[in-house]
Amino acid sequence: MKKLINNRWTPWIALAAAAIFPFIAGAIDANYLVRVGGVIGLFMLLGLGLNFTLGYAGLFDLGFIAFYAIGAYTTAIAMRAGVPAPFALVLAVLVTVGFRALLGLTILRLRGDYLAVVTMGFGEIARLTINNLDALTNGPKGLQIAPWRPLNFLSTDPNIQYYLMILAAVALGVVASARLEDSRVGRAWIAIREDEIAARLSGIPVRHYKLLAFTLSAAFAGLAGGLFAQWEQFVTPESFVFWESILVVSIVVLGGMGSIAGVLVGALVLVGFPPLMQWKLSADWINYRYLFFGLILVLVTLFRPQGILPSSRREAELTS
Amino acid sequence: MLVQQLINGLTLGAIYSLIALGYTLVYGILTMINFAHSEVLMLGAFMALGLAALLPAVFGTGLVGLAGMFILSMAGAGLINVIIERLAYRPLRHISRLAPLISAIGVSIILQNGVFIWVSTQSLPFPEPVVIGQIEVFGATISSLQVIILLASLILMGLLHFFVEHTKLGKAMRACSDDIQTAGLMGINSDYIIALTFFVGGALGGAAGVLYGMNYGSIKYNLGFLPGAKAFTAAVLGGIGNIRGAVLGGFILGFLEVLASGYIPNGAQWRDVIAFTVLIIVLLVRPSGLLGEKIAEKV
Amino acid sequence: MSFRLVAAAALMVFAAACGPKETVVKIAVAVPLTGDMGTEGQGLRRAVELAVEEANASKRFPFKIVAAPYDDRADPKEAVNVANLITSDPRVVAVVGHYNSGCATPAAKVYARAPVAMVSPAATNPEVTAQQNSKDWSGPRMVFRVVPTDDVQGSYAAMFAGKKLGKKRMALLHDKSPYGQGLAEEFKKGFVAQGGKIVSEDGISVGDKDFKALLTKIKNDSSKPEGIYFGGLYTEAGLLLKQMRELGLKDPFAFISGDGAMTFGLFDVAGDAADGAYLSIVGVPADELPSAKKFVEDYKAKFPNDERKPFDHFGYEAANIILAAMERAGGPDRTKVIEELKKTKHDGVLGTTVFDDKGDTTSKIVTMTRAVAKKRAFDSVR
Repeated sequence: MKKLINNRWTPWIALAAAAIFPFIAGAIDANYLVRVGGVIGLFMLLGLGLNFTLGYAGLFDLGFIAFYAIGAYTTAIAMRAGVPAPFALVLAVLVTVGFRALLGLTILRLRGDYLAVVTMGFGEIARLTINNLDALTNGPKGLQIAPWRPLNFLSTDPNIQYYLMILAAVALGVVASARLEDSRVGRAWIAIREDEIAARLSGIPVRHYKLLAFTLSAAFAGLAGGLFAQWEQFVTPESFVFWESILVVSIVVLGGMGSIAGVLVGALVLVGFPPLMQWKLSADWINYRYLFFGLILVLVTLFRPQGILPSSRREAELTS
Repeated sequence: MLVQQLINGLTLGAIYSLIALGYTLVYGILTMINFAHSEVLMLGAFMALGLAALLPAVFGTGLVGLAGMFILSMAGAGLINVIIERLAYRPLRHISRLAPLISAIGVSIILQNGVFIWVSTQSLPFPEPVVIGQIEVFGATISSLQVIILLASLILMGLLHFFVEHTKLGKAMRACSDDIQTAGLMGINSDYIIALTFFVGGALGGAAGVLYGMNYGSIKYNLGFLPGAKAFTAAVLGGIGNIRGAVLGGFILGFLEVLASGYIPNGAQWRDVIAFTVLIIVLLVRPSGLLGEKIAEKV
Repeated sequence: MSFRLVAAAALMVFAAACGPKETVVKIAVAVPLTGDMGTEGQGLRRAVELAVEEANASKRFPFKIVAAPYDDRADPKEAVNVANLITSDPRVVAVVGHYNSGCATPAAKVYARAPVAMVSPAATNPEVTAQQNSKDWSGPRMVFRVVPTDDVQGSYAAMFAGKKLGKKRMALLHDKSPYGQGLAEEFKKGFVAQGGKIVSEDGISVGDKDFKALLTKIKNDSSKPEGIYFGGLYTEAGLLLKQMRELGLKDPFAFISGDGAMTFGLFDVAGDAADGAYLSIVGVPADELPSAKKFVEDYKAKFPNDERKPFDHFGYEAANIILAAMERAGGPDRTKVIEELKKTKHDGVLGTTVFDDKGDTTSKIVTMTRAVAKKRAFDSVR
């Protein structure tokens, strides 16, 4: 299994397979999976983003979904104001990163669990503010967005179009993460995560690197939020509840902190499992979906606490 | 109106404090956030309901019945917390800091959905063993229910204080909170003390659940989530790991919420935003919480 | 115990729980079945199952009909997932759903592409049907709604409060959901239009339990409100009532709310405190229409341990309207069913239902009721 993961051709094969999948899905009666695939892809993006904050830099963030929301709403508001869709996406990323930078400058001096609570607080502040500012966001009634279908030449099905766009974004995210992981920046992050004081003493500008990790995460979240908004053509505060932030944290931890492959698999499992159950479970068992989900969380954690596909460093740490 | 709002704040704060104590005790000893605590408090409420339903003659009526219902639910909740610790957290304790957290999240989901599937999907009315009366004081209406809640909370907090400060086991708990390895070297069985801590924390959560059910008159499978999250915030506000901090945080949060809803026009919908903003501001000024100690890190 | 062993066991349980593929005609029930709103969705599921069971028993159709549940967890993203799942199953002829407007709105877009009809029993935001008029609408008109939009109930309640109860100053509350806030906004419009004054406006959140602070503020408001209008569901309504009484707010201080609160669950939450609350319902209360009476009894008989929820009879009606349309269409043809639905003139538990050119029900009947705690009932108020 490890050999498969580490084989340098694996990512390319996986990418090719993923790209072809939607076109053959129709034939194997799996159109639903294209939709699910797109949603998994969005959470892969979110997971890759949070991976910078939590996985690499070790900052405990419980309010990440707020930035997904900011990205989504920025896109929605911009497009309704007439901004063309691609620019709305760029704007979404910029605005999200901006908010995140501001937040980071304010709270990053807090340690561990204090940071966790503050990020959770900010997540709720964002959601409630969106829900309350009816004049800007239409509050609980939500905002409708005009459709954007740039890939009409490939397929008229928006699920396929957005699946592919999200796939492209994920691929971009993976490349970016891999590059950063292997650079001075990445090593600085890991040093900070392992022992902040030692890192500082080694000359690493801890505050700057923390802020960098924190802010970069937001770029992913903003992009994911924008794509989400354009795909669903509708944003409402109910999509951005606290539970979703917990889900992204679980994806990163369960997948394997700091491991790109781990995050991707984590998203695949945690986000793919409930819809798969919805598809296949008979009517009597539908109510048990989340019970099973909770059980899976506990069992996987108990039996593979290092994560499903941990980074080699982590594996070495936790199983020696 | 101020008197009334103060009373409202006291009651709410008392309940938050009890829940916050559960979080803080566990955190103090394991530096772990027990995400499943909110479900333990929910189960405490359901156990009380179950007792009253099974043996209405014993638990459904009178002050004695009420006390009995209380004590048994507390014990039950404490026991559940211990079992959860044993099964879902202990194997992961030495492995990483975040693994028990994910496990706790899983346990929380299991418990919530379990109650949804096997107990009831609906809101169930909570038993009222004692007749509730109301009195007018300084232009405010106090119900005997609020008095009971306050009294029960204060008694429990007093008992906890006595236990932690003046008994041998309490001393052991404090020692483990300070430095679990050294405590072990001193001959304290840390596994046992951890289990005890979870029991006490769970019992307090269960008590809060019963009081919660009494205060609002009905319980539902998802009742734990919101107060749990808020009480956790309160515990952090006061300084996570610090018992007095949890109580302080709980009452401050209770009063904050009441003042936001009661005095700010349109405040009710911004109430949580205000509470969290205050939290952020407090933590910026005192990064370890109001009463939290600055943990010196040995380099 | 090895990971592999556990994984294998899990897969076996999973496989056992998978359903077989049978040849039936399905009416999809797309509602929240688990999660915070699970209670309401389970009720709708039961109501549709009742309708389907009756249809099968009457042998009107040469095939078996099944109510197929789909859980959207009141999450718009789940709702779109579920919509995709439903449209990819050719056995589904139409959808009863969704419950939340936030879910119905995006899901409808997916149904439009199939196209498969969606008849909502509870989504009251006008946008759900109005969006079909947008130039971006990607299919035929196929959204229908058996429940009137918020403006109908809200404005009636405003008229009732002003003219029947003679209130001049009211405090406005809502639960910040599309339903609750929509209802409250309509009440405000109507009340102000007839010269009344809204002394305060506040939003609470679904799931909140403690309203004492808010109610104390209203009680002590110098503008002296004579009552509260609450847009929201029974849990919060019940808690509000309970805490109002604990603070001494009772008759003649009025509490008025809508059909989301008019359910027996209100008595579970509020007990005697519910006494005297005014609750409006669209159409005529189930107990008063002969056709509805039968529904109430059948529901009780089939589901003795479950209480009827506020929107259950809407779900029942939605299912029956779909079945009637399918009968007229001559079979489970999705497109034909959509066309027949447009021509609906159905007599049932909601009286007579006809859809206008947006797909909304033309029924504008609203009945005001008053809660009687010791009878655990709602008496109509004329």
